[in-house]
Amino acid sequence: MEPLEVFKVEVTGDEEFGSKKYRELIMDILQDLGLIRSIGHLYVYIDIKKPVFAVYGLIRTNIPPLNVQDIGDVLKLDGVYQIKLNNEEHMEQLLKILWQTYGRERIEQPARDVLIVVSDKSPAELEVVDVKAEFRQDLTDALIRVAPEGFRNRRNEMTENSFLFMAAEETLTPELIYEIKEKIRSMENA
Amino acid sequence: MLEPIMFTGGVYKHDVVMELVEDLGGYILQKNITQSEVILLFLVPSEDLPAMQDLVKELRGELTRAPLAGTEVAVVTPTLAIHHLPHVACDIAEYLRRNGAKSNMIGLARGVGREISQINEYETMLINEHDSAVFIFGNFAECIRKKENLYRNINVPVVIAGGPDINKKDLPYAFEYVPSVGRIAHRSRKATELVTLDRIIAAIGRALDRTRAEITKDPLTTSPPRVMDAVREQVPEVEYSYSPLPIALNLTGIRIKLPYEKYKDKTQEVRFDEGVTLKEIAVIKPSRMKDYISVRILPSSETGFVF
Repeated sequence: MEPLEVFKVEVTGDEEFGSKKYRELIMDILQDLGLIRSIGHLYVYIDIKKPVFAVYGLIRTNIPPLNVQDIGDVLKLDGVYQIKLNNEEHMEQLLKILWQTYGRERIEQPARDVLIVVSDKSPAELEVVDVKAEFRQDLTDALIRVAPEGFRNRRNEMTENSFLFMAAEETLTPELIYEIKEKIRSMENA
Repeated sequence: MLEPIMFTGGVYKHDVVMELVEDLGGYILQKNITQSEVILLFLVPSEDLPAMQDLVKELRGELTRAPLAGTEVAVVTPTLAIHHLPHVACDIAEYLRRNGAKSNMIGLARGVGREISQINEYETMLINEHDSAVFIFGNFAECIRKKENLYRNINVPVVIAGGPDINKKDLPYAFEYVPSVGRIAHRSRKATELVTLDRIIAAIGRALDRTRAEITKDPLTTSPPRVMDAVREQVPEVEYSYSPLPIALNLTGIRIKLPYEKYKDKTQEVRFDEGVTLKEIAVIKPSRMKDYISVRILPSSETGFVF
């Protein structure tokens, strides 16, 4: 699937350069954080006279959580299960979840990337990382990076499959928020 | 006239180059040793340059002209946050360094925003201690026009780097405006981006030339490299400073990286062959940068002589 099927940037006033550059900037930052493939539509609205900055996006859902079998190989040995990790990135979360499920005394770590679970119950299906929560964190980080720096009054409305991020120098009043939402809606329907 | 030159070559026999600089009556400004390579920044009389070229050819080194050598340039961003750093600011600072200038990166405390941006007195005075400054702004013309309050009170020439094309007349307090910079989230590597960096260097060069031309109208009592040499000789503690460049040269003076309170008296008593002391020909005061010593050489109209 192509990243960013719809990507519109609208800047009020005579700011053609700014509009073009912000498009590049957003692409660069989303690419840096590995988010570009998870966002389907993106609408950016900037009014530099007010000044206000808003991004509305549709998230590509169905990101499954990472299970133990996704991050390593699970082998059944004699009365125990062995987990051989492919990379150690998620070791901390994995240990935490195994200790919680089986108890500390049943988990051994003979080597840096090998874990032994002393149990008959397979750990293969245990959920290690909630990728959605991680994605949301990264997305918020990206949006803060994208927004112009002085825009310190921020509001982020996230739903299951969309997000609306607004930032302004002055207070975000209900009228302003309404105006931004209307603008984004008109961009979406255009 | 002294020519600013950069030597790049092996460590082996680089001291011969240093000796020749001294023999020719030049000054070593900076010496950087990186493993087996050495980078020397120095000033030599232009008429003796062929002698230097012969020696360097023999040593298989390289000589390049460093037009900004002996100057200090501030690279100012609205803050030190990720929005402005590292790419644009670091690229410009590095490019300035390659051309021989000493670049200092300064992030303002509250320089962000269109309506709310501000600069305080300390920041203004710190930037004023440099020979020139580059202000890096963003991608919107409206913001760049509005933000002139940040550099209105700065006495040194200010080059503004921003994204869109803006007429210089719209920025009356700027020395020059260089477009196509703005906020960029990647390193400058395309040919067009490198050309933009060259244009910033050229603008800084013109700004410094203007300052130099102003100085020639009322010449300094003595040249900053000469003061640097005398301080290095008579205040040997400066060689033990942890700074990579213990004495920073400016067009109108030097900054000594030693604590002001402890070394001010010793600095004031630095004596030249002509019999004058440093305190007679320069203003020695605490620098705005840490607790360093700032030395500003007085013009001949104030001291009545030049040596």
